[in-house]
Amino acid sequence: MSTIDKSEPVAGAAGDARTSPGAPAPGSCKSAPGSCKSASGSTRRALLRAVGGGACAACAARLLAGRGAFAAEASAEAPAAGDSHGRIVVHDARWFERLPDKAVKCQLCPRECTVADVERGYCGVRENRGGDYKTLVYGTLCSLNIDPIEKKPLFHYLPGTAALSVATPGCNMECKFCQNWNVSQVRPEQVESLLMPPENLVRSAVARQCQTLAYTYTEPVVFSEYVLDTAAAGRRQGVGSVMISNGYIREPALRDLCKHLTAIKVDLKAFTEKFYAEQCAAKLAPVLATLEVLHDVGIHTEIVVLVIPTLNDSADEISAMAKWIVKHMSPDVPLHFSRFHPMYRIQNLPPTPVETLDRARKVSMDAGLRYVYVGNVPFHAGESTYCPGCGKVVIKRVGYNVDVVGLRRGSCASCGRAIAGVWSQQDALAFKPKEKAAT
Amino acid sequence: MTDAGGVTRRVFLAAAAGAGLLGGGLPETLRGGSPDPPRKPRVVVIRHEALAAEGQGPGPERVREFLDEALKALTADTKAADAWARWLKPSDRVGIKVNCLGYSTRPAVALATAASLGAIGLAPQQIIVWDRTSDELRRAGYDVAASGKSARCFGTDALADRGGAGYGREIVTSGGIGSLFSRIVTDETTALISASVLKDHNIAGLTCALKNFFGAIHNPNKYHDNGCDPFIADTCAAEPIRKRLRLAVCDALRPQFSGGPSLRPQWQWGYGGLLVSTDPVALDRVALEIIERKRASAGMKPLEAEKRPARYLASAQARGLGTADLASIEVLSIGKAWDAI
Repeated sequence: MSTIDKSEPVAGAAGDARTSPGAPAPGSCKSAPGSCKSASGSTRRALLRAVGGGACAACAARLLAGRGAFAAEASAEAPAAGDSHGRIVVHDARWFERLPDKAVKCQLCPRECTVADVERGYCGVRENRGGDYKTLVYGTLCSLNIDPIEKKPLFHYLPGTAALSVATPGCNMECKFCQNWNVSQVRPEQVESLLMPPENLVRSAVARQCQTLAYTYTEPVVFSEYVLDTAAAGRRQGVGSVMISNGYIREPALRDLCKHLTAIKVDLKAFTEKFYAEQCAAKLAPVLATLEVLHDVGIHTEIVVLVIPTLNDSADEISAMAKWIVKHMSPDVPLHFSRFHPMYRIQNLPPTPVETLDRARKVSMDAGLRYVYVGNVPFHAGESTYCPGCGKVVIKRVGYNVDVVGLRRGSCASCGRAIAGVWSQQDALAFKPKEKAAT
Repeated sequence: MTDAGGVTRRVFLAAAAGAGLLGGGLPETLRGGSPDPPRKPRVVVIRHEALAAEGQGPGPERVREFLDEALKALTADTKAADAWARWLKPSDRVGIKVNCLGYSTRPAVALATAASLGAIGLAPQQIIVWDRTSDELRRAGYDVAASGKSARCFGTDALADRGGAGYGREIVTSGGIGSLFSRIVTDETTALISASVLKDHNIAGLTCALKNFFGAIHNPNKYHDNGCDPFIADTCAAEPIRKRLRLAVCDALRPQFSGGPSLRPQWQWGYGGLLVSTDPVALDRVALEIIERKRASAGMKPLEAEKRPARYLASAQARGLGTADLASIEVLSIGKAWDAI
């Protein structure tokens, strides 16, 4: 159940009379169609801003429709959809335990925050309201894009297809190198957002011919309630769901999500507790536990490592990481080494030398991994997929240009060896998680 | 000696007649001249039964009588305006940071502070009573307005039209924190007064003058690990706060010794006090002692035993923000003794 908190503007202080909460009834807008604000030629961010600047939901729908964007049908058919700037959407949270004196213990992620009444958890998006735990980001999208699936990156999952990619604010880590800190490290009331119920998002994906919904950019774990409901709705409409995550989630919640997801990409930030503690305010062990659960569940999983000079780039660390993946997961797990650029709180280190990425790739392949990639380096040969049997190119990639040159029904066209991955939507939607083995 | 509603000072102040007598990490007196050699930082605690009233409690005029008296004791001035003028000048733009999360700083305390600032020549437009959001202020009983009789009053979110939801664009790094600071601090003020409420905190142990400034950053939720230590200290040591913070005023009218930061009337009591200091660390240390003594008298465990010992105080001292050692603090009682719980 969702409700909306009203937040009235301060007359004269902000000088900004925001739209009143909630969308008007159809036909109640007194503006001419599309006349609330013109978004012609604007960026998507400007578009969202325009939506938040006083337009009613119906006009927002027209603006979005005029841009060939996603939410036209969503807004038109669902009065609840629209701008949520200045408002908090309050939705019942899952995965928590009630404690005495109106406190709660969050059971979503390994932090297991004990949250007193009126307080929020570490993520900043889950709040205790009188002993009831609420999520404040259910369907409040701060980012909305159509991306190639390769951008996630997922290289062994429906190559060359599009993913309708969404995020809500918040994260349960604080990585000092975060590329999206302006949406991940904020509270929901601090960013503009568009309210998008699950069914509307799925309809938008179908309308835009996106085979996949991607929960990405920030940390989907913190909006797991929305992920779960949207992924379930997507499956019913033939749309898969992938989660691009830091893997910082407790096992029960993860297994719940895997009932509806079709693939996951996990950021393995490093392979030392020191790095996780000092750079991410988190721990490594729970992430490794997540990877083991994902392998146990059987969901398609790819791993990305952002290689940061001097912090997590030693050959020994990379080698240990790769060996762990081989041993605890599979040599078929795709591993991506991505290039770091100075960002957020780490401005004093240079971009990762390409040689460092090359070395990481070689070390990992020497450790037994079969599909190892180099990312954020245009035209690098390590962007393409090679058959581990004959070495021929199976999928050629240059940036987000994808050419499936040597894959036939999931196998190498040259030598016939099976290439690990999910190669058809039918296979993606057929995924069912394995039950947890009895202990 | 002038008194406030019949209270008398329990400590003779002759020894403190000089100016610039206050230790701690805050700016020296604005009056210039050579301050006396450093002395113990002073925390003034003024108590009166009129301040302990339940319900609506005393109005701002009544609170101001006691507040001015406390300021005079803090500086050893005979006129309240002279005392306030040691720390704030008529050209300042002053932000009075209240704490509206859960159990809130009473509006009467903030308004009394604003009225005293008005008495030294600050116009209402130069004074902002503020917290994170206007909604929180309203819920705490504040009259949110862009202009008011004695001060403006609104939340950081009221400046959202400047971008960033009212927070700055550049990350400020200070020790362990990396945060955007409220534009009320950076754009609208030259000086800050921490107007906190004395209460227990379920993670930090205590929330008072220092933790109040978690409400000045955009991401306080990230900094509650390890009892908020050293993050509270790092926040207050950050340049936007450190260079502006002039004074700490604490609403200890009816402090809350358990169950904080949310409102738990069953754990409040009529202490009837106001605490004032230019050393926010010292003020917090005295405040902590008050809470601990009350908890002990109620048969509760010390905060240390509950694994929330307000360890951020030591970090604040280490960063030069003030004095956390109780023995090194001069606590000046007016009215009932500060440690008579």
